[in-house]
Amino acid sequence: MTVFCSFKPLDKAVSRLYFFAMLFIKRGNFDQFLESLRGEYRVYVPRSMGGGIGYSLLGKSDTNYEIGEIRSFDPLKSFYFLGREKVAEDFKPDILRDDKPPCIVGAKACDLKGFKILDFVFIDDEFGDPTYMKAREKGLIISADCTGYGETCFCTAVDINPWPESDFDINLSPVDDGFVVNTGSDKGSDLVESNKNLFTEATKAQVGVIKQNRSTVKSDVMKSAKEKRIPVADRLKRVVKKHYETDIWKDVSEDCVECGACNTICPTCHCYLLYDQKSDGRLARYRIWDSCMIHDFARVAGGENPRDRLWMRFRNRFDKKFNYFPEVLKEIGCTGCGRCVAACPGKIDIREVLARLEV
Amino acid sequence: MMKNPYRSIEAEVMKVTTETPSIKTFLLKPKEELTFKPGQFMEFSVPGSGEAPFTPSSDSQIKDTMEITIVKVGKVTDAIHELKPGDTVGLRGPLGKGYPLTKFIGQDVLVIGGGVGLAPVRTLMYSLFHMRDNLSKLVYRGGCRNPKEFLFRKELEKWMKRDDVDMKLTVDEGDKSWKGPVGVVTTIMDDIDVNFDLAKAIVCGPPIMMKFATFKLQELGVKDSNIYLSMEKNMSCGFGKCGHCRIGPYYCCKDGPVFTYDMIREYPGIWE
Repeated sequence: MTVFCSFKPLDKAVSRLYFFAMLFIKRGNFDQFLESLRGEYRVYVPRSMGGGIGYSLLGKSDTNYEIGEIRSFDPLKSFYFLGREKVAEDFKPDILRDDKPPCIVGAKACDLKGFKILDFVFIDDEFGDPTYMKAREKGLIISADCTGYGETCFCTAVDINPWPESDFDINLSPVDDGFVVNTGSDKGSDLVESNKNLFTEATKAQVGVIKQNRSTVKSDVMKSAKEKRIPVADRLKRVVKKHYETDIWKDVSEDCVECGACNTICPTCHCYLLYDQKSDGRLARYRIWDSCMIHDFARVAGGENPRDRLWMRFRNRFDKKFNYFPEVLKEIGCTGCGRCVAACPGKIDIREVLARLEV
Repeated sequence: MMKNPYRSIEAEVMKVTTETPSIKTFLLKPKEELTFKPGQFMEFSVPGSGEAPFTPSSDSQIKDTMEITIVKVGKVTDAIHELKPGDTVGLRGPLGKGYPLTKFIGQDVLVIGGGVGLAPVRTLMYSLFHMRDNLSKLVYRGGCRNPKEFLFRKELEKWMKRDDVDMKLTVDEGDKSWKGPVGVVTTIMDDIDVNFDLAKAIVCGPPIMMKFATFKLQELGVKDSNIYLSMEKNMSCGFGKCGHCRIGPYYCCKDGPVFTYDMIREYPGIWE
């Protein structure tokens, strides 16, 4: 399988050079920079909404956005892989969705890890998802350091630092009046290069500020994860496997109402259903997000259901993230973003479930 | 241009054969080249009604048409059973890996089929007959609930007259027309005379039959790595992306639907 994406890792020496010659952009100049991207991209910016950070499209001369302290409440997968999308019509070979590629502003390290999982699933030569692949290849990611930690954050427990280290085009580290900028791909470097006049060289003091911020946020997240007694990353796979056949699953799934919110909100949940719209003789095929927590998810037409019981579906979700992905991709399928914790109406906390498994 | 993996190829229904009260075979002519290997499956759609996975039942060496044999069990199959010659349908595939026929060369091959599983087994048998000179012994054991539901009965009876295959058929419940043995398929496996230590066994049928046939084969001495099971799971996309048909580290659609028993025996729910 050939995995292509827009992020070519920089040569080590070059990357070091960028680190030493980090750039600074003033917020006002960054507004201009984003405005200039609107022609080529659908630019999505984080905005303060409902007590959190949510994404929406950047309008003309729109400067009402905010690089949040932590990740948004909505998962970024929705800009690459719509909740409901027509993927085939009649017998035409056409790729139906043909809009501008997305530019995501302010993506956090956990979001980038989410893309790593989705890339593995959706990018391939023979059966790759064409709209996802196009959005990833042509799209732009302007990521950002976390400058705080949320109540549900536990990225460090799954071996992610709360600042982007790879898989971005441009990264922003917030400082007073603007951002320290570094680039992570040729596409990012070219964009900075062609907008040189908007950037200045970052000062030593600014670079010091971001280093300090990173270390503070990291230790805060680590402390919070430790308090929750989450098993360390290299034990996560073992504990889920070890307790596969225990009664813990019945217990921890007791408050699940099978709403599927954890699936919908998860940046790595990718399951979908191909659904042919009921109509008179015309074929219209939709790809719709699906949820493995729903009873009939794995049921076959003959009636057999390998995960007939709720606890089996609950366990399956953990098995997928902590066994399947580590086995096939050498990556944990959880980003530690904690969105599922925030979304669950039954107040099921993935951190508490993992902690129970460690016992 | 990028390929659209969700797109179906247009095909025309050429002929509809009623096999049993609930099973029909559809002869389809795709409008574009579409070939498959035994054990691979197709996503078959009725425009405006839905799509579902099926394994063809015809000889894979026939290139311009294919037959698919379908039991009526749900919404999509209800719509499929309404089809008439001249109707337009969609085909997406071939999907999955199919049987590794080259591994069977020089070996004794046992084929155990049951119920509607006799449909994909028919495709496999055509291929095995084509390569018969390169196989050692060839054994076929087929079972079905009752004689009325026996798929391809006439063709199977013709095969019984061949001297290059040891063939036996059974039914769970007999009737006046049935002269053969009565009992589940495992009851006609005791007289199989092959080198079990190296033999390749293929099992295809309803889950309960596959389960007990697998246990019987183990008892006879067939290795788990030589038991090829044709798994049935909920498959939507057919290429390992939609997530429905996962079995441990595999997707039934992409890595199967044919698995050797040693690959999947440790995972829960494989017989359901």
